[in-house]
Amino acid sequence: MRIISKENFTEFVNALIKDSSLNIIGVKAKGDKFAFGPLESANELRLDYDVTLLPPKKYFFPQRETLVTYNVGKGFSAKNPSEIKPTVIIGVHPYDMIALLHMDEIFSETKSDPYYFEKRKSSIIIGVNIQKMSKWCFASYMGCTTVEFGYDLMLTDLGNRYAINIGSQKGEQLLDKYGKNVDNALARDIQLVGQKKREIMAMTQQKLDFPPELIPEMLSKSYEDSMFWEKHSEKCLACGSCVLVCPTCYCFDVKDNPDLSLEHGERVRTWDGCLLEDFAKIASGENFRPTRPTRYRHRYFKKGKYLFDRFGFISCVGCGRCSSNCLPNIANPVNLFNDMYHESQNSGVQVTAVSTPEIKIQTEGNIDYVPRLATIIKKQPMTVNETLFEIKLDDDSVLGHKPGQFVEVSVFGIGEAPISISSPPTKKNTFELCVRKLGNVTNKMHTLNVGDKVGIRGPFGNGFDAESLKNKDLLFVAGGLGLAPLRSLFNYVLDNRKDYGQVTLLYGCKEPRELLFADELLALAKRDDVEFKPTVNWCPENEAWTGNIGVITTLIPEVNFDPEKTYAVVCGPPIMYKFVIADLKSRNVPDDHIIISLERRMKCGVGKCGHCQINQVYVCKDGPVFNYSKIKGIPEAL
Amino acid sequence: MKNRNLNLEVHHVTRVEGHGNIYVNVRDGTVEKCEWAIPEAPRFFEAMVVGRQYSELHHITSRICGICSIGHTLASLKATEAVMGIKISEQDLKLRKLALHAENLQSHMLHLGFLVLPDLLGVGSVIPLASSNPKEVKTVLRLHRKANEMSNLLCGRTTHPQRLMPGGFSKIPSIKELTSLRQKLKDSVPDLQAVAELFKSLSPKLPDFTRETEFIALTSPDEYALYDGKIGSTDTGTAPTSEYLSFANEYIVPISTAKRAKHARESYMVGALARFNLNYDKLSPLAKKTAEMFDLKPVCHNPFMNNIAQLIEVVHSLEDSIKLINELEAAGLKSQPDYNKPEIKVKAGGGVGAVEVPRGILFHDYTYNDKGYCTKANCIIPTNQNHGNIELDMKALLPKILDKPEKEIELNLEMLVRAYDPCISCSTHCIKVHFV
Amino acid sequence: MKPKVAFFDFAGCEGDQLQIANLEEDLLALLDQVEVVSFREVMKEHSDNYDIAFIEGSCTRLQDEDRLKQIRKNAKIVVAIGSCATIGGINSLRNYRELDDVKKIVYGDSAKLFDAYTARPIDAVITVDAYVHGCPIDKEEFLNVVKSLLLGKKPDIPTYPVCVECKKNENVCAFERGQFCVGPVTRAGCNSCCINEETICWGCRGLVDNPNENSQKEVLIKYGLTVDDAISKFRLYFGWQERRK
Repeated sequence: MRIISKENFTEFVNALIKDSSLNIIGVKAKGDKFAFGPLESANELRLDYDVTLLPPKKYFFPQRETLVTYNVGKGFSAKNPSEIKPTVIIGVHPYDMIALLHMDEIFSETKSDPYYFEKRKSSIIIGVNIQKMSKWCFASYMGCTTVEFGYDLMLTDLGNRYAINIGSQKGEQLLDKYGKNVDNALARDIQLVGQKKREIMAMTQQKLDFPPELIPEMLSKSYEDSMFWEKHSEKCLACGSCVLVCPTCYCFDVKDNPDLSLEHGERVRTWDGCLLEDFAKIASGENFRPTRPTRYRHRYFKKGKYLFDRFGFISCVGCGRCSSNCLPNIANPVNLFNDMYHESQNSGVQVTAVSTPEIKIQTEGNIDYVPRLATIIKKQPMTVNETLFEIKLDDDSVLGHKPGQFVEVSVFGIGEAPISISSPPTKKNTFELCVRKLGNVTNKMHTLNVGDKVGIRGPFGNGFDAESLKNKDLLFVAGGLGLAPLRSLFNYVLDNRKDYGQVTLLYGCKEPRELLFADELLALAKRDDVEFKPTVNWCPENEAWTGNIGVITTLIPEVNFDPEKTYAVVCGPPIMYKFVIADLKSRNVPDDHIIISLERRMKCGVGKCGHCQINQVYVCKDGPVFNYSKIKGIPEAL
Repeated sequence: MKNRNLNLEVHHVTRVEGHGNIYVNVRDGTVEKCEWAIPEAPRFFEAMVVGRQYSELHHITSRICGICSIGHTLASLKATEAVMGIKISEQDLKLRKLALHAENLQSHMLHLGFLVLPDLLGVGSVIPLASSNPKEVKTVLRLHRKANEMSNLLCGRTTHPQRLMPGGFSKIPSIKELTSLRQKLKDSVPDLQAVAELFKSLSPKLPDFTRETEFIALTSPDEYALYDGKIGSTDTGTAPTSEYLSFANEYIVPISTAKRAKHARESYMVGALARFNLNYDKLSPLAKKTAEMFDLKPVCHNPFMNNIAQLIEVVHSLEDSIKLINELEAAGLKSQPDYNKPEIKVKAGGGVGAVEVPRGILFHDYTYNDKGYCTKANCIIPTNQNHGNIELDMKALLPKILDKPEKEIELNLEMLVRAYDPCISCSTHCIKVHFV
Repeated sequence: MKPKVAFFDFAGCEGDQLQIANLEEDLLALLDQVEVVSFREVMKEHSDNYDIAFIEGSCTRLQDEDRLKQIRKNAKIVVAIGSCATIGGINSLRNYRELDDVKKIVYGDSAKLFDAYTARPIDAVITVDAYVHGCPIDKEEFLNVVKSLLLGKKPDIPTYPVCVECKKNENVCAFERGQFCVGPVTRAGCNSCCINEETICWGCRGLVDNPNENSQKEVLIKYGLTVDDAISKFRLYFGWQERRK
């Protein structure tokens, strides 16, 4: 620990500001509030602040950030990071420091976000221990009033001087270079710092009525209590304030912005929030969290349960910003959790603290936000709304996908959309996408022709485990467009027919003219090593149809299969799953023999932006293929 | 011309704000009809503000006009402040004057560059000029953009400015921003010179037509009056703005949804020419020089010269803005809290706010009850005050140009209307409303 | 082939068309992408052959309806620009006067004046394909809508409220400053431009699709507004939208 007088500290900060190769940020007054901003002189610094309007995460994960630039028809490139000046951020409170540590783990899980980390690496954080506490702050309950690591330097105000804890070599070097008259701390100073830190707890005005370790379990038990969630969210304005000011929120949206020439543009990510109405809405118009109670509940679950299960920490540092920014005053986690606790006490529900899961974060490289250029080599309209595209990557590489995975397709100037891969990996150099025209990207794609360029990212998702299905009997149940992803597995099975037992395909559509892959199905009907049963909901007078008429579940009784040996692979519109699964179960198909593929709004494809999240799983990463035994416990899934 | 027969109907004159129609009927050389008719939909602003709080009135009345919103907002604020006895600081006064200059600059440049210039260059609009005269168009755009940047800095934005409020500004620029603006204005002088020279070369195309009329504008012994002053007239003496009704006597004509006004004669003119005629000696040095370039002296009765008067005012506004910023810098800009909340004691009563907007003298007259809600409002728009003069000018001009081809007569009549730079949708802001 | 565009105005202040003129140099870039065939305020020429029609101002008289229907017939795409056209704007304030039974408005001598009826947005009369909200419109948003139309994609207009942008801009909340703001129920897309200037959101872009109006009114009252004033705030721009519910 070191000591510096306040005058010398002022000199230190002014010396930093003078160095034009550095970007110096500090806490400044803004009206009667505070905010991090560029410092022009040390006397702007207000280290005695209570809380800033926005947390310092805005310097690492900015409100708006260009990820990729593009040239129409020519390609995409990463935004050039070379303009990053080393940034020194002065005045970070421990809870915000801990939030950054949470974000570090979240942004490096499985794949690392290069934009976030390039800023993190080039920054130096000078923290300050809390001198004033906002009345909404409950960091003391979350163990976030003090922090022992993560910072480069940490200041404690001792009246006429600051004690400085050295947290890193970077911090020490900064202090040595720009600081003058910095002494080693005396024992008395060290003692004083310890005392100050203890005093911080006493500043807390919020009161949590129970130990916070109970939160994850308590939440689990309250999921189904719709009255509770409706009561608490009744006044919600869906304004997103609570999540936008949160130091641990990281959901984002990605949009393409062309310039006026329409020849070039940029792909920009911006902060998004799960409380906003259309957060979980997909191009078809279906919204997977359409009501206020469901969205409101999701925020608490994400912070207190899902991230806890995934990372081992409750992702809330108790800063109180959500509470202070909520106009109808319904966002205070303390109030909510206290109410939840008392309700559970009154109803005699036993809640215990679960042990913190031991999580080791694995990182396998960077997230690739930059699409690869690819060419449409074949375009085959199949129905009024669906067209099959065959795509080849321009660098001649093989996509290398598993059946059931998807790609993110970029159409220049419009945006990016997730499309399941419809062809098996046995078809090596190219891959097929069956595209239904629904939203901006897919509609524009339908106007493209052979030779036109698109961007491809991926493959993403877990895909089907074709290996584990070997030697089993397979019952494919496809509804409408659900045939498109199933085909990647189905055709793979056909390509390796001898490895699999009985193979049946049940396929249902609304009416005959909506049948996809009609030619292939005709050929399939002629094969004797596959049982194929199609059905339509109805048949208009002017169309010819000799097959079954009825919903897809009407086909299931017609199939003979041994539930012990059979695995069902199901994909179709959201409404279909409930009924098909019920019928399969009535035929004694075990839960873990049912495999489904789900659809959600997907943007990043790598489990970061938050849009595809259903309860604790990311459809893009943990799915889209799920085993029913695992997913049946996930309420938002089906 | 003895046997001239002419039937002219110009429906929705182009290159003016709002909808106005010209109807001309000449039979055997006799003018049977020469009308300036306004078919624009009335908008009922005086009815809309009744029952609204004093803090909202300027926001609502700003929407009377998209081009003069700063002027409407200021006139509205002055009226409210007059009722409640709210005083604004010397600093805010200067900042408001700067805002008004910004509006003058923006509006006059738009009018001269986009609406008048095409006539003088013989084209239908500024769009083909973008390819045929790119240098001139870019110069106009540059000046127009600087004027907008100036109003953005002072008011938040040009159209429906947010920063203006009763008692002052919600936010003010820093002295650094003002001095940087001053430099931008200084740097614009060559562009302005180029525009003046362009108009000088084209000025022979402006008809040499005069008809004696009365001119009314704000006047002040201290400055070229735009923000403050007394009502002045070339026919009569001055009067305080509270006596505006004795000047602007409004009346309805059946062919027009906009009212007209008269004072000492059948009609009068307001606007840049009126201001020039009444306040010539208060013009800035460079502005006077510009007037000399065009040989324009008071009192000029050629309505087409309103365009040149606007050009002269652009120069004056630019110079006077530089002067105001110098004064603000010398006095030291006093910062205000991040959010300004002036002390306002709500009072019942009536008050008038008058301001010169680009098109002429504007009056807002409000009455409030003791809770601060508006009970009555009256707004007299410059263009209303010009409608009568426009028609009389048309009637006087027509016989003089009757020997020209029809297209040229039509062009001349349109140019006459355009010279006034009318803001027609503002002038139909209200119809006489009786509450029973 | 550049698409042909035309501009029309009804009952409004022409501020939105001025905003387009205010595009300054971007206007020239825009003219590279489209051909303007009719823009009464700026040009003499007029043609009825246009692909995209931009309409400013509310429909306030029966005779306006015919003009609107004709434009709809001529155009492939109709875009409403500015609050008066998109939601009725400030014009809808006067709708409350007419329905007030205690006072009756007596018109002057001219019969033309009887033409006025409830001020309404243009989509009350014709189908509208795209909206550029705001009073006045935001220049960037206007360009984004035009770019989207040129690219054949549906313009991306936010369905979330102004608070989202306000928080991102790190403003001190208007309520914290003792002001009364309707941002929480107003459609975003303006980058919270008014709160950035230390005033309030007045609601000029109209209500979001599913506003929690009761909650917003309660918030206004909680922070000190009277019930009457809270209701009055909702009438400033939301008059037509409120009536439709």
